Amino acid sequence: MKLTAKQLTVCALLTAMALALSYLENLFPLALAIPIPGVKLGLANIVTVFALYALGPAQALMILTARCLLGAMFAGNMNALLFSLLGGVAAMLVMTGLVRLGKLSVYGVSVGGAAAHNCGQTAAAVLTLGSAAPLYYLPVLLAVSLATGAVTGLAAACLFQALGHTNLHHLIKE
Amino acid sequence: MFWKSSPKLRPNGWDALVVLAVIALAAGSALAVWRGAGTARGPGTVIVTIDGREADRFPLSNLLEAPRTYSNNGYTLELVYGLRGMENPPPDHREPFGEAGVRAAWADCPTQDCVRTGLITRGGQSIVCLPARIIVQLTGTGAEDGGGVDAVLG
Amino acid sequence: MRRLISITLALPLLLSLTACFGPPVDPDTVQESIQVIAMDTAMVISTYGKRSTAAAYASEDLIRELESQLSRTEEESAVFRLNGTGTLELGEKAEDLFPLLEAADRYCRETGGAFDITVAPVVAAWGFAGGAEYRVPGKAELQKLLELVDGTAVKVTDRTAALAPGQSIDLGGIAKGYAADRLTDLFREYEIPRAMATLGGNVLVWGNRPDGTPWRVGVQDPARPQEQNAFVGVLLLENAFAVTSGGYQRYFEESGKTYHHIIDPATGFPADSGLTSVTVVADCAGDSDLPGTMCDAFSTALFVMGEERALDFWRNWGGNPFELVLVTEDGRVAVTGGLAEKFDFDTESGYVLEVIS
Repeated sequence: MKLTAKQLTVCALLTAMALALSYLENLFPLALAIPIPGVKLGLANIVTVFALYALGPAQALMILTARCLLGAMFAGNMNALLFSLLGGVAAMLVMTGLVRLGKLSVYGVSVGGAAAHNCGQTAAAVLTLGSAAPLYYLPVLLAVSLATGAVTGLAAACLFQALGHTNLHHLIKE
Repeated sequence: MFWKSSPKLRPNGWDALVVLAVIALAAGSALAVWRGAGTARGPGTVIVTIDGREADRFPLSNLLEAPRTYSNNGYTLELVYGLRGMENPPPDHREPFGEAGVRAAWADCPTQDCVRTGLITRGGQSIVCLPARIIVQLTGTGAEDGGGVDAVLG
Repeated sequence: MRRLISITLALPLLLSLTACFGPPVDPDTVQESIQVIAMDTAMVISTYGKRSTAAAYASEDLIRELESQLSRTEEESAVFRLNGTGTLELGEKAEDLFPLLEAADRYCRETGGAFDITVAPVVAAWGFAGGAEYRVPGKAELQKLLELVDGTAVKVTDRTAALAPGQSIDLGGIAKGYAADRLTDLFREYEIPRAMATLGGNVLVWGNRPDGTPWRVGVQDPARPQEQNAFVGVLLLENAFAVTSGGYQRYFEESGKTYHHIIDPATGFPADSGLTSVTVVADCAGDSDLPGTMCDAFSTALFVMGEERALDFWRNWGGNPFELVLVTEDGRVAVTGGLAEKFDFDTESGYVLEVIS
C-alpha cells in the first residue's frame, strides 16, 4: 500500500495524538473508582474511530499498530504490548464491521469497539497468565465499556462536528 | 462527502441494538463465570478490612495477576499470592494444586508483624497490621476441608 | 425517539455501577463480620441471622465502651483514674469496673495469688505494659515492687474501690474474657442464633456452625507460634468460651535467655512452670457467673501454677465447671476428661496425648 506524503503525515500526526491521549488517560485513573485491573477510559480509541471514518481501515490499523508498539516501548513494558495489541485489533475488527453496516452512529461504533477492546484484553490476560481467573472480570469490564464507549463516542462526535467546518478533508482526500 | 465513510453524529436505534448486544454479552458471561465461581475456585476469598470497615474483597486467584497494596494511617503493606514451600509461585499456577494463600510481602510499618505472620492458606485465618489498622482475612472453603478451623487460640 | 435513545444510553451507565458490586451473595452465608482493634489486640466478631448487622455494630460499641472504662493507658478511663488517685467512686464510666474488681478479688483468693491484677507494676518493669522497652529488672527493684503486689489488699464495696498505697492494677488479664461475657448477653438480647468472636487469645463460640456442626477452634502449637496451621489439636465447641495463655505469645531475649510476658506474682519473674500453654474452656449456656472472665483469669493463673498444681486445682474445683488443655515443655498434651470427646488431637503434631480424669 502506497501512501502519499500528506497521508503519511496525517497518520503520523494521529499516532502522536493517540499516544498523547493514552498518556493523558493515566491522569484519570478510573481504576480508583472501579478497582479492577484493565479498567480504562480508552481515550486513544477516539483516534481509532476518527481514523476509521476518515482514512479507512487499512490506515487506521497502521496507526493502531504503531501506537501500541511505541506505547509499549515508551512504557518499557513489552508485556503490555500483547494486551494493547489484542485489545486494539479486536476493537478495530468490530468497529470496521459496524462502520461497514452503515446504519450506526459513532456512539454505537464506539461502544462496540470498547466492548471488543475489553474482550481482547481479557483474552490476552488469560493467555499470559494461563489461568481463567481474568474471565471473572469480563462481565464488569463489558458493563463499564458501555459507559467508556459512550464517552469516547461523544468525543468523536464533537470532533467530527468541529472538523466539518475546516478544510482538513483537502489534506486527506487524495 | 469528504470522509471515507460519512459518520452519523446522532445516536439512533441501531446504536441501542449494539448496547443491548453488549448488555446481553455481559449478562451471559456473568452467568457463565460467576455461577461456577463458588465451586470451581479453590481457597475462597480475601477480605481486607481497614479501620474496621471492609475495604476490599476479591478471589484469592486475583493476586496471581498482580500484588495489591493497601495504605492506611500512614503505613502501606503489599499482599501477594503465596504457595506453601515456594517463594515465588509460577504465574501459571492453578488452584487447587498446592497449598495456596496470601501473605504480606512487605510493609513499612515498624512492627512487621504482618510480614512475619507469613502465608495464610485456610479460611478463618488472618494477617493483622496493627499500626496500619488493616486486617486481611481469608474465608471460603478452608473450613470444609476437615483440617481447617474457624478460629485459632493462642 | 431521541429521548428513548438517551435513556437507552444512560441505562448502561447505571448498569455499570451496579455491576461493580460483584456477584450476588448466597443467602445461606449471610452474616455480619466486624473487626475491632481494641484492648491491644485485633478482634473479629461474626454474627449470623436476621439481626446480625445490628448485633455486630452493637458489639463494636460495647467493646469500645468497655475499653474506655478498663484501659490502663487511656487517661479518662476508670482504671486510669483508680491507679492515679488510689480510690474511685462508683459512677458513670465505671459500671463495669466494679463487678470486674470483685471477680478479680475472688480469682486471686481462689488461685492462691497465681492470678493477681496488682502485679501490674512488676509487668511494667519488664516492659510488657505496652509501648515500653523490654528489659530485665534488677533484683532490688523487683523486691521493692513485689511488696506492693497483693490482690486481696484491693478493697471493693458497693460504692467505692480503693487500692493500697503505691498499688496499681491492670485488667488486661480478664478484660477480654469479660468482654466475651458481655457479648453473650448482647447475643441473647439480639436473638442471634450463631456467632463467633475472637478477642485476641479469647474465643467465644455461640450456637453452632452454619452447617450444623460444632465450631472448630484450633489450639496453636506453642513450639511453632509463627506457623498458621500448626495446631496441637482442634476443639469442637458449641456455646463455649475458650482462652489460651502461653509464654510464646509475647517475649523477648536477652543474653541468650528468653523472658515471656506471664509474670509469676510470687517471684516477679516470668512463670517457669514446665507448661508452654494453657487453654481453659467453659460453657456459656446457663446462668453461671461470668464464665468467660473466669476462663481468662484461670488460663493465666494455671500457667503460673504448672501442670501438677493446675490439675489439682481442676480436680478440687467446686464452682462453674471448666476443662483444660495443657501443653508441656516435655512434649505432652494433657486434656481433661470433659474435653476428651471434643478435642481432635493432631497425631502428626509430634506431641503425646494424655487424657486426665
